[in-house]
Amino acid sequence: MDEVKIGVFICNCGDTISKSVDLLDIRARLEKLADVALVSIGHDLCSPQAQQAIRKDIIDNGINRVVIAACSPQLYGDALANLVEKAGLNRHLLSVANIREQCSWVHPDKDKATKKAMVQIRMAVDKVRLQDVVEQAEVEVYKDVLVIGGGIVGMEVAIELSNLNLRTTLIEKEANLGGRLKQFAALYPLQVTPEEMLTSRLKQVTGSENIDALTSAGLKDLSGEVGNFTAKIRKGNEEISRNFGAIILATGYETLFLDKVYGFELGDNIITQSQLEGMLKSPGEIKKIPQSVGFVFDICDEHSRISTPSTLRNALVIKERFGSEVYVLCRNLQVDGAGLEKLYQDVRNKGVIFFKFERFPKVLRENGKINIQVEDLSMAREQVMLSCDLLVVEEKVVPHQDFATLESMLNIGLGPRDFYQEDNVHLYPTSSTKSGIFFAGNCHQDLDLGRALTDASNAASEAYQLISSGKMRVEVERVVVDPDKCALCLTCLRFCPHDAIRIDYEKKTAHILDLACQGCGICAAVCPAKAIKFKDWSDDQILAELEVV
Amino acid sequence: MTTGVEFLPCIVAFCCVHSAYQAADAAGRMRIPYPENIIMVHIPCAGRVDTLHILRAFENGADGVVILACHEGACHHILGNIRAKERVERANALLREIGVDGRRVEMRTCAPNDGSRFARVCHELEEKIKELGPSPLRKHA
Ligand SMILES: Cc1cc2nc3c(=O)[nH]c(=O)nc-3n(C[C@H](O)[C@H](O)[C@H](O)COP(=O)(O)OP(=O)(O)OC[C@H]3O[C@@H](n4cnc5c(N)ncnc54)[C@H](O)[C@@H]3O)c2cc1C
Ligand code: SF4
Ligand code: SF4
Repeated sequence: MDEVKIGVFICNCGDTISKSVDLLDIRARLEKLADVALVSIGHDLCSPQAQQAIRKDIIDNGINRVVIAACSPQLYGDALANLVEKAGLNRHLLSVANIREQCSWVHPDKDKATKKAMVQIRMAVDKVRLQDVVEQAEVEVYKDVLVIGGGIVGMEVAIELSNLNLRTTLIEKEANLGGRLKQFAALYPLQVTPEEMLTSRLKQVTGSENIDALTSAGLKDLSGEVGNFTAKIRKGNEEISRNFGAIILATGYETLFLDKVYGFELGDNIITQSQLEGMLKSPGEIKKIPQSVGFVFDICDEHSRISTPSTLRNALVIKERFGSEVYVLCRNLQVDGAGLEKLYQDVRNKGVIFFKFERFPKVLRENGKINIQVEDLSMAREQVMLSCDLLVVEEKVVPHQDFATLESMLNIGLGPRDFYQEDNVHLYPTSSTKSGIFFAGNCHQDLDLGRALTDASNAASEAYQLISSGKMRVEVERVVVDPDKCALCLTCLRFCPHDAIRIDYEKKTAHILDLACQGCGICAAVCPAKAIKFKDWSDDQILAELEVV
Repeated sequence: MTTGVEFLPCIVAFCCVHSAYQAADAAGRMRIPYPENIIMVHIPCAGRVDTLHILRAFENGADGVVILACHEGACHHILGNIRAKERVERANALLREIGVDGRRVEMRTCAPNDGSRFARVCHELEEKIKELGPSPLRKHA
């Protein structure tokens, strides 16, 4: 290896850093460190002029590793790596010491802050000294997308991708597209009927050259990784094999009635929300107009986005259509969706009566009537007795029953509530654990339709960003297995959270799929043979950093 | 301390880039001070930390070690924080075997935007290690 020449560039950040850190003292101490060839203090390293100067310094002084001591790498990390690259070095030969957010801004005492900044920069120097080069490459990827599930969300995803000029194969296991929406007569707060929504989308799906919709079809097998999946699709007796760059799951939800939680069973006069939806859709099914109807909900799932709108909407429909007495019993109303507060007011004004409970009401069947005893919180915990002809109960929304098979076929993890992994919902709303596989709609969260459609757009645009250019940039062997050390114990394979490790039986070694690896380093920590090297966070580097202790 | 000189503990904090590292940045943006004697080691995921790293920190003279990870169920790499917890427990057992108080190593969680929690955790750690006193493995103890 060539002689290591480390250049340290320190930013005073318009004096915000130099005010509380003695940079001159630091420079003097850094200059004494082994391999440090240049220490320079500059103004505002984020500015183009300063970057130009750094580039020149790197080239003129033959610097081959760079430390930048400045603001958080969360802000300019990428830009700094670009800068290093422009100076002719590999972009990984850079280590950033965060001496602003994590030092000068939080340690008011100048001596102490200076001491800490020195520690931070020394760690960066010790780390970059041992840094390996990681090359980047561009690989070709398929520009086709597989969408699994032909409900409203799956259709929406396919349409959006088609508008973006990506081809999709949409597979639906039922004989018709449309999913659960087919069963609803109306949806709040939509002005159009579900039927109209479905019809217009169906027209777009069938009219698009970019969409191949396969009904009565299912996924039989999947291999490959992001950019290059191979799916075997079964349609009737036929088997079709196709390649895809990305996959979007839109398999929707099912509903379950939880008799264990409620402590009573369904019957003629106790029905679920779904059954009520069916009745409202085909009024012929209603034999006798109920004089009084009770709704009870919000005992299943505090995350549900569905209970409040569907209950309020149906309470209003019943009131308006049949003029019945309507009671809504709930633990909590969630009126945080678009227009829900207003819907709630409308429903109240129409004379629907609300009860708020803490303890679940007692429900008794008597002579064809349902008697409900509820302790109402809004009326000083008074015991109230109600009698209804019909009681409508909430169901639990669960992912489609096929999820288990799909999950193991795709090798993606499930989230805490048995929906597909919701991941860090706020950061990665539609990503799965596996690169190139996304979720949309009610297969990963119980969303109302408006949110489900937004989710569809998000998933479509994520897939688009990933593969639309037909190429993906990839870090080559950032994490790498040494075949001589690998004992084929399969530990890494079991622990990798992103399904990015395969076994090469010919070469008798585990190996890492660069495109699928998300750089957590878990494999490097668990490998008992210490056969895995994570080039940006190698054991040697971490141990070298710990030398400052 | 009995020596009369104030004991300034040395604490190594492995900070996951998806949580604690960003929380520390948030603390910075809000100018919330915390002890400067906490050495922050930037890692890609709490699951990267190996028992070896924890033990080396003690060997080098740290008085306490903490892994600062994402909250349970919110790990970007799904179970990285759970893996880290296992390693902490293992390091804990090994330390006890050689007569070091296992409380010197622990795992804490933190959301990426929770700067005040980050600072609070740092204060709590410093307090705790101050109570336990210098590590018996300290080179210059
Ligand atoms: C009782 C109730 C009331 C609601 N009320 C409202 C409301 O008032 N307002 C509102 O905005 N939202 C409401 N919603 C929510 C709304 O229904 C959903 O947001 C929407 O239907 C979600 O559509 P989807 O396409 O994700 O799922 P689905 O409609 O379930 O579609 C999924 C499709 O995938 C198919 N599929 C499943 N597994 C496979 C597989 N392995 N291979 C191939 N195909 C598969 C299924 O057959 C189905 O066609 C309500 C929901 C419920 C349960
Ligand atoms: S854990 Fe290490 S030794 Fe075991 S299979 Fe993976 S690389 Fe090979
Ligand atoms: S670093 Fe290792 S464990 Fe993490 S995603 Fe990559 S291969 Fe999997």
